[in-house]
Amino acid sequence: MINLAGRDILHGWGRFLFTGVGLGLLIGVTLSMAGIFRGMVDDGQVLIDNSGADLWVVQQGTLGPYAEPSSLRDDVWRGIAGLPGVAETGNAAYLTMQIEHKGREDRVMLVGMEVDRPHRPGAPAYLTAGRPVLVGHYEAIADERTGLELNEKVRIRRHDYRIVGLTRRMVSASGDPMIFVPLKDAQEIQFLKDNDALLNERARTAANPAFNRPGVPGLLEAVQAAGAQSRMVNAVLVRLEPGADPEAVAAEIRRWKRFQAYTRVQMEDILIAKLIATSSKQIAMFLVILSVVTAAIVAFIIYTMTLAKVREIAVLKLIGARNSTIAGMILQQALGLGLIGFLVGRVAAGLWVPIFPKYVLLLPEDALRGFAIIMVICALASVIAIRAALRIDPAEAIGG
Amino acid sequence: MDSPDETRVPAIRLSGLKKRYGTGEAAVDALKGVDMTVWPGEVVGLIGPSGSGKTTLLKCLGAVIEPTGGRMEMSGETLYDAAAGGWKVADLRAMRRDRIGFIFQAPYLIPFLDVTDNVALLPMLAGVDNSAARQRALELLTALDVAHRAGAQVSQLSGGEQQRVAIARALANHAPVILADEPTAPLDSERALTVVRILNEMAVQFRTAIIVVTHDEKIIPTFKRIYHIRDGVTHEEVGEGRASY
Repeated sequence: MINLAGRDILHGWGRFLFTGVGLGLLIGVTLSMAGIFRGMVDDGQVLIDNSGADLWVVQQGTLGPYAEPSSLRDDVWRGIAGLPGVAETGNAAYLTMQIEHKGREDRVMLVGMEVDRPHRPGAPAYLTAGRPVLVGHYEAIADERTGLELNEKVRIRRHDYRIVGLTRRMVSASGDPMIFVPLKDAQEIQFLKDNDALLNERARTAANPAFNRPGVPGLLEAVQAAGAQSRMVNAVLVRLEPGADPEAVAAEIRRWKRFQAYTRVQMEDILIAKLIATSSKQIAMFLVILSVVTAAIVAFIIYTMTLAKVREIAVLKLIGARNSTIAGMILQQALGLGLIGFLVGRVAAGLWVPIFPKYVLLLPEDALRGFAIIMVICALASVIAIRAALRIDPAEAIGG
Repeated sequence: MDSPDETRVPAIRLSGLKKRYGTGEAAVDALKGVDMTVWPGEVVGLIGPSGSGKTTLLKCLGAVIEPTGGRMEMSGETLYDAAAGGWKVADLRAMRRDRIGFIFQAPYLIPFLDVTDNVALLPMLAGVDNSAARQRALELLTALDVAHRAGAQVSQLSGGEQQRVAIARALANHAPVILADEPTAPLDSERALTVVRILNEMAVQFRTAIIVVTHDEKIIPTFKRIYHIRDGVTHEEVGEGRASY
């Protein structure tokens, strides 16, 4: 038996192809939306993986350091480092900010890390160029997506930082590329007040008789110095010894140190389930709407194509074609349209995804799932056209 | 066609065939008792004014609509008998496919199939394998003198060629009856007469009974027998049967 659908497609291949391309662009948008969601999840996962930590110790009652503000003294690590099962600790400060670079403003996450030895928790997992930060001030490692280059200088607040190393896929949970600087610099950037504010604060302190007692020399200077320094960090990242139970160590920290400690599983839950929950719902809604629009468009196209063949279908029915033959022809055309649309959409998504500002992850399994969904949508969309075709009276081919 | 002998079986025999549309006061009797006999190898004309019931009769003959009275036989087999409950054939679609050929006012070829496949489609629908169906199609196209366009697309054919292909399609399943609905309407005189000549030749060659519904004054004189239909009733007339083509 001749494949009627295939012949019809070949006969009007130009129209069919252009229709498929149009549909494909819509499918490409749908696949990209799914890729944006995957990219968000992957950003969160990468943030956890690349931190090199097994536990995150943060301020009690917070979901810090990525989802909520958290503040700890920077000597908290000493008490944690001595706990059984803890291999290494690292103070970390996180600050999302704008930097100016090559005439444009970029959003980055500034990470303060301890630079006394490499591979401390919180430091970049690997470098793609350059070297680690070796001095305590004004050197930085940047993610490649910042666009910064080796030995380039970048202004961050009051100081210029030289880029000594580059890294890759080091991004915040919201996809902003990271710049790693020494912890003390990050503390200064994050907590230190500007000069005017400092002068104002000193004047206020000096005017306070409680801090400016004639009989207590040095008190005023001490209080003023305390106000000008920051000894706070956002989190202590903990790497455990091999075989140590993260839950047990975390429970120990919660009980004895009065801090919140999150394991890797809990942090994944915070980053992926909680932090991007609203965005996920937003994208899910968008995907549902796009699917409905795709179904409506396919249904309309197939219905129109079917109505354009009323006479041919009437003749086919009159000369004895089975309903299944006619339904099969329409169904195959709908699936063919879906196939072309999917291929065009996948290629289009692959082409335009790299120019997206945030990471978009197109997974093969998502593409397969998308293909199956598109086929189902096309099959369902063809039902209206099939019903219309089966209602065509073969008598329409005869007489007036 | 000469007077048939008693032993021959008519290709089509209608006895008091009726068709009523609607019910009650709105009922319209399109056919009020049609009697018709058509023999194998014969081409008969069915003529009548608009609204006389021609199309309804054709639809009843084509098993597209169900009559409401009378009896219809094909090659000796009862297809419809109102007194015995209606259709006597379980699968009307298969019956149309295997036993009735259709030629329409316009060729109504399938535009996305080439000439050969347009003809071969019918046997293929009946389960004949593709190569045998195409072979059969080529034989018919040769008989109708359009074999040289076998691989062409429908849109590349002239009107006359398309009508020949449509005739070939009607013959593709060796149907004992062909119903032709105004087959010469879109053609000029010369081509119309050519189509009638072909129908006559095919009727003789394939022993097919052909009923031609027509208004076409040019071809009416070519029929040896004519059924006039008016107000749902037929009257037989012996035609001139001149071979003016």
